[in-house]
This record gives sequence, C-alpha cells and structure tokens, in this order.
Amino acid sequence: MDFEFPKEFDVIIVGTGVIESILSAAASRVGKRVLHIDENEYYGGQWASFNLEAIMKLKNSQKERIANKSDSNFLSFGNDLFNIKNIDYKFHVLPKKNKVCSEEKDKEVVDNNLQEVSQDDNEETWDEELLIKTSRKFNIDLCPKLQYARGNFVELLISSNIARYSEYRSVTRILTWLNNHLEPLPCSRSDVFANTRVSVVEKRMLMKLLTSLNDEEKETQNYESKTFKEFLTDKKLTSNLVHYVLYGISTSSDHTQCKEGIQKAKRFLNSLGRFGKTPFLFSMYGSGEIPQAFCRLSAVFGGIFALGQPIEGFALNDEKFKSLTVRSQTIKAEHLVMGIENLPKQFIKSKKHDYISRCILITNKSVLDCEKEQLTLIFYPPENNKSFTTIIELGYLTGTCPNNVYLVHLIAKQDTSPQEDFKHIIDKLFINSYHEMAENNHDKPHILWSYYCSINDSNDVELTEDLPKNIFVCPGPDLDLDYDFSVTKAKKIFNAMYPDLEFLPRAPDPEEIIIGDDEITEEAKEITEEAKEITEEAKEITEEAKEITEEAKEITKEMTEEAKEITEEAEETTENEINDVKNEKQETISEERQHTVE
Amino acid sequence: MDDYKFLFKVVLVGNAGVGKTCLVRRFTQGLFPPGQGATIGVDFMIKTVEVGNEKVKLQIWDTAGQERFRSITQSYYRSAHALILVYDISSQPTFDCLPDWLREIEEYASSKVLRILVGNKIDREDREIPENVGEEFAERHNMYYLETSAKESDNVEKLFMQIAEDLMKQARTRDLPRYDSNNQTIDGRTSTINDSSCCSRLQ
Repeated sequence: MDFEFPKEFDVIIVGTGVIESILSAAASRVGKRVLHIDENEYYGGQWASFNLEAIMKLKNSQKERIANKSDSNFLSFGNDLFNIKNIDYKFHVLPKKNKVCSEEKDKEVVDNNLQEVSQDDNEETWDEELLIKTSRKFNIDLCPKLQYARGNFVELLISSNIARYSEYRSVTRILTWLNNHLEPLPCSRSDVFANTRVSVVEKRMLMKLLTSLNDEEKETQNYESKTFKEFLTDKKLTSNLVHYVLYGISTSSDHTQCKEGIQKAKRFLNSLGRFGKTPFLFSMYGSGEIPQAFCRLSAVFGGIFALGQPIEGFALNDEKFKSLTVRSQTIKAEHLVMGIENLPKQFIKSKKHDYISRCILITNKSVLDCEKEQLTLIFYPPENNKSFTTIIELGYLTGTCPNNVYLVHLIAKQDTSPQEDFKHIIDKLFINSYHEMAENNHDKPHILWSYYCSINDSNDVELTEDLPKNIFVCPGPDLDLDYDFSVTKAKKIFNAMYPDLEFLPRAPDPEEIIIGDDEITEEAKEITEEAKEITEEAKEITEEAKEITEEAKEITKEMTEEAKEITEEAEETTENEINDVKNEKQETISEERQHTVE
Repeated sequence: MDDYKFLFKVVLVGNAGVGKTCLVRRFTQGLFPPGQGATIGVDFMIKTVEVGNEKVKLQIWDTAGQERFRSITQSYYRSAHALILVYDISSQPTFDCLPDWLREIEEYASSKVLRILVGNKIDREDREIPENVGEEFAERHNMYYLETSAKESDNVEKLFMQIAEDLMKQARTRDLPRYDSNNQTIDGRTSTINDSSCCSRLQ
C-alpha cells in the first residue's frame, strides 16, 4: 500500500455505485486518465452485495464530517442524508441446535454444499450458528435489480463488450397475487394459451390487446391525461385481465399514466423470447457484480482503482473543482464525479426525500414449491393503501445463497416504515417461525432470518445552483426494476464532460489485439496497409476480368448467334442447292429420257 | 480456430511488481519484458496447448493493475478453474502478503479451484525467501509450488502445462469447480437462448 497516486488525472471518481462505475469505464475507454476511489473497502456502495455477516455489520451511518472551517474552499465529502437507515435484523431460528446435527452439517459445509441434502433433513437443522458458518455463500443485494433482455442496459453490455465479465440467469417464472393466492402471470402467447385460469374469451381479449399495443398512437389518442388503468378498463377487459396487464406486464400502479403504461408493457413484451421464458435476467452472484464489471473494464483501459481510501476532502478554486486530497496527497483533475452520498450537504437543495423500503428474508423453501429450482419474480399489487411491491426470490443456482435456502427480496416505495409496508405480504406468504409453526402451516416457507432497512431514493433530488460546473453528481439506487435509468444518466454526464467522444465503444476481444513492441505493431500496420492495397488492386483486377469475361461472353453469344444464322442460311442454301441439283438432275434425266424417247 | 476440447480460466494474483504480467507474456508470446504500454485494453491472453493429443485452450487473466491498492473486483475470481498466487523470491513483503491473498481467494473463489503458489524471479541473486520456506507455505495451504523466472523462461512453460494437465485430469474425473452450464452469457451475436458459457463446453 505504499504506492503513490499520480499527481494529475483527467477525471477523479469518488464512489463505486453503478452510475459512477459506468462513467469510469466510459472515460477510461476513450483514453481519459481516471482515478476511481472509494472510502468503502468494497465495490458498489449502496448497489453492493454483501455476505451474511457483512450486511449485519452495516451501520445506519451518519457520516457528515465538517472540514477545516477556516478554509471555505476546502470541503469534505459525505452527508447524512443519503445513507442506509432503519436497519433492523434478526434470526428466526434457534442460536444452536444439538451437537449431532451441527456436526453433520459441518461435514456438508466442507463438501461445498454440492450434494443434495434431503428437504426434511434440512428443515430441522438450520440454526443461527450454521447460517453464520455459511455466511460467505450469501451475496445479499441492498438493491437487487433485474435486466430486460432487450433493455438499454443489456444492449450496452453487448455493444461495449462488457457482457464478458458477468454471467446471468433468466428469471424462470413471474407470479402475481390475485384472488388471494399466488398465480403465474401469463406473459407470452404460449403462456396465455397454457393458462387454465384464463377463459377462452379472455384469451382472445388479451391476445388482441397485446397485439394492439403496437399501434400505440392510434390507440391512445384520447388518453393523453388519463391513467393506464382507465385505458384498460375502457377496453372492457375482465378484472383478472386488467390485473395481469396493469400490475404484471406493464409493472404499473393505479396512477401510472396511459402512455407510460403502454411503453412499459411494450418493453416487457419486446424482451420476451430472447433469453429464457421471461423477459428478465438476473446477474449471477448478485447485482453487486454489475458495478464491478464496469470497473474491471475501466482498469483494463488504464483506470487506477483504490478502495478503502480515507479521503480528506477537495479544494475549489474560482468556483471550480481543483484538487482532491487523499492520504495527504493532493491530486488535480479536470472533472470530479461522485455518488450523491459523497456530496457535501450544502449543495443539496431539496429538503424532502423519498425512501425505498427493503426487506430481505432467508427462508427454508420457495413460496411456490416446484421440482426444479426457480428464479421467481412476484408482482404484488397495491392493497389497502399499501404500495406496489416487487419480490424477487433467489435460490442456490444464482450464487447468492447456500443450497436448500432461498433469499427473498422485497422492494417498495416507502409509505410508513419497511416493517409496516411489508407486513401484509409477509403474513400471507411466510411463517414467522416460533408461534406460527405450531399452527400447522407447513406448506408456507419459514423465515430463518429477516433484515429491514430504508434506502434513499435520490433520483429526484435537486441540487443548488452554486455546485461547481466541473462536478458531476450520480444519484443512488432507484425503484426501477432495471438499470436503464442509470445508463441514461451516465450517458448524460459523459456527454456533458466529453461532448465529442463516443460513449463506451466496443472493447476489442483479446484475439483482436496485436501486442508487442511499437515497432512490430508499426510493421504489422504497414503490412496490413499493404495487404489492403493489394486486396484493393486484386479487387479491381477481378472487376476488370469480370467485365472482360462479360464482354467475351457477349461476343461469344453474338458470334454464336451469327454462326447459327450463317449455319442456318448455309443449311438453307445447301438445301436449295441440293434441290437445285436434284432438279437439275431430274431435268437432265427427263431430258435424257426425252432424248431416249425421241 | 475453435477446435479445442477444453477451455480453462486461469487467474493470477499477488502483489504488484512480482511479475504476473511477465509470466503471462512469456508463456503466451515468448516476450520479456512485455512492454508495459501495450497492456492497455488487454483483458486476458489465450494460448492453446496440447495435452495427450487433446487441444486445451487456456484463458489467462491478469489483474489489470487493481492489486496495487487491493481493489481487485470479486468477479475476477468467479468461475476460475485455476489460480496462480505469485510472489517475488527477492522480496519479503510480497511473501508476507500471501495470507491476505489467501483470505481473498477463500472468500471469492470456488473452494475446488486448483491453486498454485509461484515464487518468481529466481534469476535474481538477492533471494530473500529460501525455496523450502515457499514450499512449506504451499504445503500448509494445500497448494502446488513452483519457482520460476519469467526473464530466463525457467519453469514458465512447465507451470502452465502442469495446470493444463491437472485441470484435464480433474475434468475427466468431473472434479472441476462446478459452474452451472445453464448460466447465460449475453452474446450479441445470437438472439436465442444461449447456453454456451465457457463452462458448458466442459461437460
């Protein structure tokens, strides 16, 4: 760690959230000198994934620090507004089971949990000690995200060649809460027809609607200021169908405007059929892998990375960012980019903030048992003034939890508190262990561990006008299911910094790079150039040859025709001649005969 | 080009300056020194070797400089089949950091990953860590041990060939780290369900 940072960069990025990381990759990729630092020891900030022990060590941090007051041009990073709050977690299992069980379990842990353990066996054996022991097998997202298979984010991963740093699993089923139970959401043509709960008439209505959404302009003329729900109701859909389309396919709420609802529905439908059965992908080992993938690309293109850095603050000069001080080193840069949780409070205008309610559960089985492990997305509609809730249930195959448990994420716009916001759902879908277990509710999953917290939704936060023009602020996580908004935001900041440069052009594959001394490269270049010329020449020659051949062909054709004509003529002539000869002969003969007769 | 039977991901870790990039370049291109400027934009290097008449493709990943401030992304370790931990035999601090690296490996790499400890720079006169000390450390932590010189090309070929052979053996006995073949790699060239992650070729 006794390395020194270079003294000057083009851009310094503080914080490794998704938007900051995309920007880091984009700037490095076009040759900018990037210093990317984070005070945390881990990547991702509020977008990170944690193991079980680490997430319990997170604090309701209040990290506003007052810098040296005597110099108003030196500011310290951080504020007390945009941090994780109301953290509350507990185990719903016994601290420790009897000795025999836990020993057996130990052996299994050593065996890397690869063997299948029978379901009944494991139900008896999970305890606090064992969960802690398998802590590293957990990758728990603070902000779990999914990706639309044809959304902007996936397209960016592909076009920039960043997709190679991560692996994905498709969401295998989408469920919704309807008529007091969980049921599959029919989202594709085949789903619609396979669904036994939808009547034939409804099937026809739904198919007609899904097809008609493509002619959006025509359909929505009279719905400029109306909600999507009104639009659907006016279409005379049954209440079940309205539910499927509104809370499922368009992931909308009762208040979503018609236009937005249709756009969302279209995005859902467009993403079907690319990877797997549903439109969604989940990144293996958790959403925290995403910022890291962009940081890796940034590093590959020369970005310098440093985590766990005690940053002292930054200096302004002439109302512009001038330099940053870290570990007593002063580092200059043209631009400063930071996550909003690092912004000094004085630049934040809005006083009111929205929160995202989060609940994370470890359970002993899936909410809807199935033979094969499922990756489940549940759209839980608004109910009795409670917000629309997104639930994601992850199993062992996603690399986010050990075998034989499930990790369940609940996400909603905060209404009162995380506990209150999700109580109605948890009561319906899960068993809170202890007292309820006695009631014979064995078909529902048991909660082994629960974690609640609030995360600030900083996407609509207004900043003050005196924020220096060369400082760019990246908002934190949002309520969206996907990263498309983050891509848009990152692109906007990139264009503000470098209006003439391309945003994340495709990175070459290792096979395409010629490595060696510059001389060799130069030589290779020349050879390539020469080869190109030769190819060009060859092309021209080929072209010419082609023309000549064509001409020759034509001439041949003409000549053949002529020859044919001549032949024909000749034939005719010959025939005539023969005839003539014949005639002559005959004449001669007849003459002779005449002579003879005479 | 793609007529190989196995593809293995090999990653290198260890302190900055121990010669990780030199080892990779020496093996894949026969170059030394590698010419630092040229590393920009290079993610991993590929070399196809032959083990018992079978073509094995090694995909060798370097740290991209992220080890300097201990900022290697976790995803770097994911789905690795072999992991080479390198130190410099002429630098005690690089040896002293090995436990830190092992902790990181434990945390993020598969527990079945093949681990090799490499003491590099044996061409140097000023050795600080005797061979048996390195060997003992490796033994204690259940790793292979090899001393190399990227500069003199000593044992470099042997190192990677050994890895290829061992991974082949593991693949035959199905004892490789198990990466589910149903994981999807997003690939712009196809727009259908794509199961061809590097791991799925192993089965």
